[in-house]
Amino acid sequence: MSLFDNVMAGLALVGNINAFLSLAIGIVIGVIGGAIPGISATMAVALALPFTFPMEAINGILLLLGVYKGGIFGGSIPAILIKTPGTPASSATVLDGHPMAARGEAGRALGMALWASCTADLISNLSLILFAGWLASFALSFGPPEFFALILFSLTIIAGVSGDSLLRGALSALLGLLLATIGLDLIYGTNRFTFGDPNLMGGLNFIAVLIGLFAIPEILNTVWHPTGHLGNVQKLGKNWVTFADYRRCFKTIVRGSFIGVFLGSIPGIGAAPAAFLSYSEARRKSPNKANFGKGEIEGVAASEAGNNGVAGATLIPLLALGVPGDVITAIIIGAFMVHGLQPGPMMFVMNSDIIYGLFIGLIFSSALLFVIGGLAIRGFKPVADIPRRILMPMVLVLCIYGVFAVNNNLFDVGVMFVMGWVGFVMGRCHIPAAPFLIAFILGPMLEDNFRQAMLMSGGSPVILLRGPITWFFWGVTALTVIAIARGSLDKARETG
Amino acid sequence: MTLRKLGAACALGLGLIATTAFAEYPERPINMVIPYGPGGATDISARAIAEPLGHAVGKPLVMSNITGAGGATGSVAVQNAKGDGYTMLFARVGSHTVNPAMKATLPYTLDDFRFVTVYEINPVACAVRPDSGIETIEDLVALTNKEGSSYSSSGVGSMLHLAAVFVLDEFGVENPLEKATHIPQKGGGEAATAVLNGTVTFICTNTSALAGFVANGQLKPILVTTAEPVVGFDAPTAVDLGKPALTQLVGWTGIAGPDDLPDEVAAKWGAWMAEAANDPGFVDQMNALGSVIHVMSPEEANTFIQKQYETFRALVDKLGMRIEG
Repeated sequence: MSLFDNVMAGLALVGNINAFLSLAIGIVIGVIGGAIPGISATMAVALALPFTFPMEAINGILLLLGVYKGGIFGGSIPAILIKTPGTPASSATVLDGHPMAARGEAGRALGMALWASCTADLISNLSLILFAGWLASFALSFGPPEFFALILFSLTIIAGVSGDSLLRGALSALLGLLLATIGLDLIYGTNRFTFGDPNLMGGLNFIAVLIGLFAIPEILNTVWHPTGHLGNVQKLGKNWVTFADYRRCFKTIVRGSFIGVFLGSIPGIGAAPAAFLSYSEARRKSPNKANFGKGEIEGVAASEAGNNGVAGATLIPLLALGVPGDVITAIIIGAFMVHGLQPGPMMFVMNSDIIYGLFIGLIFSSALLFVIGGLAIRGFKPVADIPRRILMPMVLVLCIYGVFAVNNNLFDVGVMFVMGWVGFVMGRCHIPAAPFLIAFILGPMLEDNFRQAMLMSGGSPVILLRGPITWFFWGVTALTVIAIARGSLDKARETG
Repeated sequence: MTLRKLGAACALGLGLIATTAFAEYPERPINMVIPYGPGGATDISARAIAEPLGHAVGKPLVMSNITGAGGATGSVAVQNAKGDGYTMLFARVGSHTVNPAMKATLPYTLDDFRFVTVYEINPVACAVRPDSGIETIEDLVALTNKEGSSYSSSGVGSMLHLAAVFVLDEFGVENPLEKATHIPQKGGGEAATAVLNGTVTFICTNTSALAGFVANGQLKPILVTTAEPVVGFDAPTAVDLGKPALTQLVGWTGIAGPDDLPDEVAAKWGAWMAEAANDPGFVDQMNALGSVIHVMSPEEANTFIQKQYETFRALVDKLGMRIEG
């Protein structure tokens, strides 16, 4: 069958109102789910999954993809408005999105999040359609040694999100690495720092740590200073993102999108590291470097481009190899299988109509996300005008509910509060929370891949340099570390 | 055998008497704990049975994923729950036979649970990359003996971990723990990827997890552990190869309550499951995923699980695989 035949067959599958309705419903569910802290895109997709079983295969899958994309964008709404990432992927959006909201520019930040998300989504979908085969074979050349080198490089992000003091950032990262070691050891299956408590055997729940670190300190601050915000009212107002803003950030958005596509096509990394990497790259390249972390619109654009760039690209390993790229696509693969479809190279031959139907649906999803996201911003807009002393108790209730809902486990709520106090103390000591989070995500990956590589080679470290991919990442890691060291020295010289 | 039959008859009799006396159960919604994450094999299976099962029960079933530590966190939640039949667990091969056999530090044992059914069986297959030069299980054994091999799993104490060792041991590899390197991964998907990208030599896991790769020609099956051939898997069965002991090596999903679950509740579950598992929608969905629907009564389920546990435990003790720390 020629390409034209395939496209027509795909169009015949999705060229009806049901397919678009499924996609739109999915995006609505996703945006709302993503916007409620603790629900997160993952849980929204998992909850929607059983409802897609009786649907037509293509409609069901489009609905789930809609939830995924909507959820990743939706997470930026609470990240900006109430400093609580709705989904782990939007943690980086908090860094600049919330300071903008505090300055009365919530509308501008939300608008930029939407524009960056939709642009990245489009780029990601096009990459999927055009380069799926090539990127998939690339993804398969990533074994533990390559992962180790990539994650080692990603840890240099910490320098980019540490704010004024690199030392404080490193301290925060060390704390994150330490807490990430709790739980069952992957290689030997032994307990680490569990103190005999079965609840700790699974490690600290990521969502609980995330919400504890970001949202709870805000609430504690409000309790500390109930009237501190008076005279400093947040307003969404008329302040909307302008085309000039978009044009200024366009390069950052495109770069972020490709970082997302690249990391998304490698199974096992996920959207949060992509957002952070995109953010730190944007900061490194920006003329307004000093303004990052204090409400720089480019920072919002970078993180949202990074995480939405992942959303289409995770389908590359899924469709081309049958391998789920992250937790969410692992759930979506279940939907494929329930409908008797087996993702993988043969699917491009056996079910090419479905593949092309999905491609067509995906291209429209960016446009639908733009419309629905715009409506959602309008819907959530009043949140910015609620006085903090009324908003914060509501946020607290939502956080408790959301964290409980992740695992139906009260222990996680306890973890959230403990992490909340940790975050509060860190805030008082001007220790940034973002490095903690990055270390918490990347630490276990670094350790596991290192130890897997050592198992592969029988203990010889030479395997860590086994191919061009590892050389590349070792090289850029070295360059980045030198650049950071130089920057710190220069700064020390200026001040001293 | 007669004693067991007698016991079964008594249990059934008690159940019948009790059903009339405690006709109220269930009078409120039942909490169903899924000890694994959303979208996994256990979760899909549990949610697929939930609908027909809900009709049979007549009260809502509240499904909740309590995840972590290879199913241990959710299992502990049910172990500690009241044995009134309002908190039940979707138990799985990993959490309830492999883990108890391998982990000394597990906070529960098999005796802490009372099984009311096993309703789904997942055959196990071993597979390699088609370009690995390994055509048969004998090739793999020869390679393991000569140069050593490696295998992936979804973690220490997972069924995949035990399965690979079990197969090598059955086929006469001496000291398989030394000759074959275990490279654990974070989950089942990652474990399959590790074979695809050449990190490890082979994997032994549920056929449902491999079906896509086999159909796509990305992986080559070299063994299935069932007595009957598995559709889509062009590989000899364990019985063909003269290793009937390997038929013990199958995945399953069942439902369990705490150990003090009353007999009448167990009997009710037996009846509900017999009804629910006949639902054509459920059967179709499970078959599409490569599972075999096989509903066991509470007694059958207990016997089956106990036997599998003893087989695994014997292997673990023989090779010294038990994890103490």
